[in-house]
Amino acid sequence: MSLQIKNLCAGYGDMPVLQNINGAAKPGELIGLLGPNGSGKSCLLKAIAGLITPTSGHVMLSNKAVPSLPPKTQAKSIAWLAQDRSAAWALSVRELVALGRAPYRGRLGRFSHADTQAIDGAMSSAYCVDLQDRRFDTLSGGEQARVLLARALAVGAPLLLADEPTASLDPYYQISILQSLANEAKSGKTVIASLHDLNLARQFCDRVWVMQKGKLVADAAPQKALSASLLADVFRIQTKNGFSVQIPEKN
Amino acid sequence: MRLGLLILFGVFAAILSLSIGALPIPLADLTPALFGRGDDIHITIMQDLRAPRTLLALVIGAGLGASGAALQGYTRNPLADPGILGFSATAALGAVLALYFGHRLWITPAALAGAGIGAALLLAMAGRRQSATVLILAGVGIGSLATALTGLLMNFAPNPWALSEIVYWLMGSLKNASYDGAVISGSLTLTGLLLLFWIGPDLRALSLGEDTAKSLGVPLGRLRVFLVLGVALCVGAGVAVAGAIGFIGLFIPHILRAIFGPDPARLIPLSALGGAGFLALADSLTRVLSVNGTVMYLGILSALIGAPFFIWLAFRAGRS
Repeated sequence: MSLQIKNLCAGYGDMPVLQNINGAAKPGELIGLLGPNGSGKSCLLKAIAGLITPTSGHVMLSNKAVPSLPPKTQAKSIAWLAQDRSAAWALSVRELVALGRAPYRGRLGRFSHADTQAIDGAMSSAYCVDLQDRRFDTLSGGEQARVLLARALAVGAPLLLADEPTASLDPYYQISILQSLANEAKSGKTVIASLHDLNLARQFCDRVWVMQKGKLVADAAPQKALSASLLADVFRIQTKNGFSVQIPEKN
Repeated sequence: MRLGLLILFGVFAAILSLSIGALPIPLADLTPALFGRGDDIHITIMQDLRAPRTLLALVIGAGLGASGAALQGYTRNPLADPGILGFSATAALGAVLALYFGHRLWITPAALAGAGIGAALLLAMAGRRQSATVLILAGVGIGSLATALTGLLMNFAPNPWALSEIVYWLMGSLKNASYDGAVISGSLTLTGLLLLFWIGPDLRALSLGEDTAKSLGVPLGRLRVFLVLGVALCVGAGVAVAGAIGFIGLFIPHILRAIFGPDPARLIPLSALGGAGFLALADSLTRVLSVNGTVMYLGILSALIGAPFFIWLAFRAGRS
């Protein structure tokens, strides 16, 4: 399922955030959405997911505008992995992953064979089969991140949007999550994940979108996009003796 | 097994409610009398007094239990109670207005109108577009205003008898149960329950927050409207015929969550079942405890049973 973003402007309430974003993503791509805090990464992901309404411009999935899709079709087409890892109730891991099948379950809540297969497959892809009988609130942060990824994968949507899926995780779990996302892309899905770790983005992403102050300032392969000048301009860092250091702020 | 025990509890409470009263009726005569066979006095008592009372206890308990479970699911907070949307207070204000002006026959329609006005106000203030926080804030505000106005009416009660009538009515009771009341309350509660059952799967998806629920295709605006209408119908129908009965909507879902797990969609029908059984049991107890002409009020007794249980739950949670 191809994604096109055309002249997209959006924000939170009356506060504009995104300014004239243009971009496209193809099936099989893992795109890293990079940028400093407050640059508009989450806002862009929410606008693509249809969680906030654009003030102008379009988000198109296979040439159909996202807001015009019926809610169930939209839910089956776009999987959303939120940054927030809290769950309201002490659900078991399997119950939580099964929430991803909500768009397919009827009002009586029965699972079909396809639902069960999707849940098992998602837990396997996110490496959390062995956790399925544990309560979500007893898991470590890394385990919770894997389970929530499985919940998003259980939707089986061709487009997966992940908002900082590796935030506050140790290196092992960061790599584990990105490996899962890369596998999903290899299987033919379009995956867009906002990330802060530029090295992981270089290692796993096919392409990066770099955001700065609500604008998309780079769209290229990581090696090409993450140049020294871009790092200095967007992230205010430079490399000295093999280490990243801050560029002092001008008075 | 656990579901079977819960159903058994409901059936036991209903039979107990039918069998307890001022005139003892042998257990074997209960069913025949209910269907118009046997002693004429037994038939009158069963058909005109106990059956509508039991029916009302089951219906109102079911509505309050399900409302509590739905609200706890929506707010994602186990401490939410049907009262937070303000309908019990606005319905009570309607009934108290009828009592203030001495129109006892108007109590039920006035209370229903109160709940309806409360729901309309809440939807106007925090309808389809607002967040759960705004809905709760508006509900608490409307409820507090209605409670203050009820207090004002009591303050300026025209005479001591009107005041005592208001006070007793606010304690909640099913002693004036009738078939008419059961039909009105039953049909409204049933409609409310259907709305709440309908939104159960949406509340399940809401366990991971509003954004995730929306991404899973949950129409949040419609969910909020159905929730408000469902709770208003259940709570309004209950207050209109039985007065103010609190606590059931808070602690029944809480207990059942510990037994059946936290899935909000399953907890709504289970809490309806549990609430029905509990209120029928509590109403039976009020008849046992009403001695020497002093009536034990249902609202008081349900709080007396529910509050210590809740304190015990809090104590247990603190220890674990």
